[in-house]
Amino acid sequence: MSVTLWLLAFVPVAALIRFVGIPDDTLQQTKPFLRQIFDGLCYAILRFLHLAFAVHKSFQSWVQMTLLQNEVDVHDLLLGDRPALVEERAELEMFLLSLPQRPEHFAVVLPDGHTDDIVDDVEALCAWSGMAKIPRLTVYSRDGRLKDFADAIEARLRKSKIISRAYNNNPPSIILDLGTHYAKRHITSPGNHPLHVSLWSREDGFPALVELSRSLAKQVSAGTLSAKSIDETMVASLLKDPFGFAHPELLLLYDDLICIPEFPPWQLQNTEVYQIGQGSVKSLGDAVVRALGSYAKIEKRWGK
Amino acid sequence: MSQQSEFIFALSTTVFLAYVVLVGTHSKHSAMPLQKHCRKLCSQASKIFRKFLVHILQQGPIPKHVAFIMDGNRRFARKSHQVTTSGHVAGFHKLANVLEWCNDLGIKHVSVFAFAINNFNRSEEEVSALMHLAKDKLKELADNSELVRYHGARIRIVGNKALLPSEVRQVMDYAEKTTQDNKGMTLNVCFPYSSTDEMTSAIRALIDDAESGKLQESKISEGALESRLQIPGPDLDILVRTSGQIRFSNFMLWQSSKMAYIQFIDVYWPEFSLFHMLSIMISWQCAYLGIEKKKQTVAECARPCMLSASVSDDETCCSEREAA
Repeated sequence: MSVTLWLLAFVPVAALIRFVGIPDDTLQQTKPFLRQIFDGLCYAILRFLHLAFAVHKSFQSWVQMTLLQNEVDVHDLLLGDRPALVEERAELEMFLLSLPQRPEHFAVVLPDGHTDDIVDDVEALCAWSGMAKIPRLTVYSRDGRLKDFADAIEARLRKSKIISRAYNNNPPSIILDLGTHYAKRHITSPGNHPLHVSLWSREDGFPALVELSRSLAKQVSAGTLSAKSIDETMVASLLKDPFGFAHPELLLLYDDLICIPEFPPWQLQNTEVYQIGQGSVKSLGDAVVRALGSYAKIEKRWGK
Repeated sequence: MSQQSEFIFALSTTVFLAYVVLVGTHSKHSAMPLQKHCRKLCSQASKIFRKFLVHILQQGPIPKHVAFIMDGNRRFARKSHQVTTSGHVAGFHKLANVLEWCNDLGIKHVSVFAFAINNFNRSEEEVSALMHLAKDKLKELADNSELVRYHGARIRIVGNKALLPSEVRQVMDYAEKTTQDNKGMTLNVCFPYSSTDEMTSAIRALIDDAESGKLQESKISEGALESRLQIPGPDLDILVRTSGQIRFSNFMLWQSSKMAYIQFIDVYWPEFSLFHMLSIMISWQCAYLGIEKKKQTVAECARPCMLSASVSDDETCCSEREAA
């Protein structure tokens, strides 16, 4: 038994030292078969590491989900009359109001193919913005599906009870923006608490920069603009927020992959990114509360 | 002895004997002081172990382009009760290590955020110290580093060089010129850089080319704009930011938006270790298939959608493909 163990230990270690530890110029002719065995061993170790990582990540998500027992459903919270719900709402409102800093412009990236509750999600995000006193909301979906549902979203926001409750029964004036080539829609009459909502997609980012370049090129060739005068200040003024707010200060990436799915790049300059996997929270409300909590702790140094 | 301890004993004896045999046959100085011998043993063992780990990772996909936001030097210096400049020096040494790891892994393009345009807002003393450090270390990198001399790394300085003092610009031009024909890893040193400045320069270059007739106005496209960026490609695979901050700070926004895998690591840059690097690699390899699948969907949708200003009924290609 001990001899077998000795051999089992010796072979991989010998292969390791043979192929890894010796400088190339002293190598004798390597046998491909041995190299294949060694590479196969390394591949098996790699797959094991991948499995261990995946298990670790799943365990972390499970722990996060189970430790935070409260599923924060905004409909129950705002429309429910049970004492427990009223108390929970009061606590949440106090938490949101006590945040030392909150973003002026909050953006949420919805994952691709997320259509089932898209209208509900936009309505819920507007309600959360109201509760957190955030005047500007952008909802982004790379594939442009949000814009396909624009009419349904407008109809829902027009008569939304939860948004009205979020603003203490004083409905806000909602202005809906679908991007540069669409007219803004005033959903409700002007009021004291405006909520500016944008529904963006890929076309509001890279193609918008291309459109801007074409427009500037036309002006230069027409002689109405000098190429030398095109600087960062000019481009920034042409790409400024349609409602005059700062670019998104907090971006909630509601997806399992930590990748920005072609969100408009110019607008990401000073954005805090908070990623949360769909498997890590019970609802979008959970994700929003955690993102706002995380934003409250950040330190802005602006390069200093 | 139990079977387990027999196994461990057999394994460690084999490793030790094999090493002694190799060193004994190859070493010129057979009689070395024990301390030096042990130090050499540890250093060689850690090199071998690192190569082994790298070889394991190379059995999976390797990213072509990785970018680092090297944040946390000053906080590291404060934590270690040192002056700010020591933090930046420690940061440079860490950069040298990280470049070595990237070269070992076979990563062909590495971009590092060395100095932001709005870092000029810092104190004059700190900015001056950073300029001196950049001058000295870039020259050292171009002339004496193993990465350039043995591995043929190429240095590119990316950013608005007009904002720099002339002596720093001269060293940068020297570093670029002496390494321009190298065929190894490309190192993009972003100094001083901001992504909005990069995009503005690309727009200006596009317009200049359109005006001079090199490019027709009808050919102004996303690809044409991207090719005029200071870091045009290849596509960024991984963006790493240290120090726990979760923002881009105006670094490679165009490139990061194109499905780059983003990792915010909660350690200061001088404390960034090989373990962190390997964890990031494993994490990326696990996410690789998902990212490639999304990129493929993006590439299929981007062509017809790219040039149109609005999504019409005929061009709901993205939604249709997603549904399929």
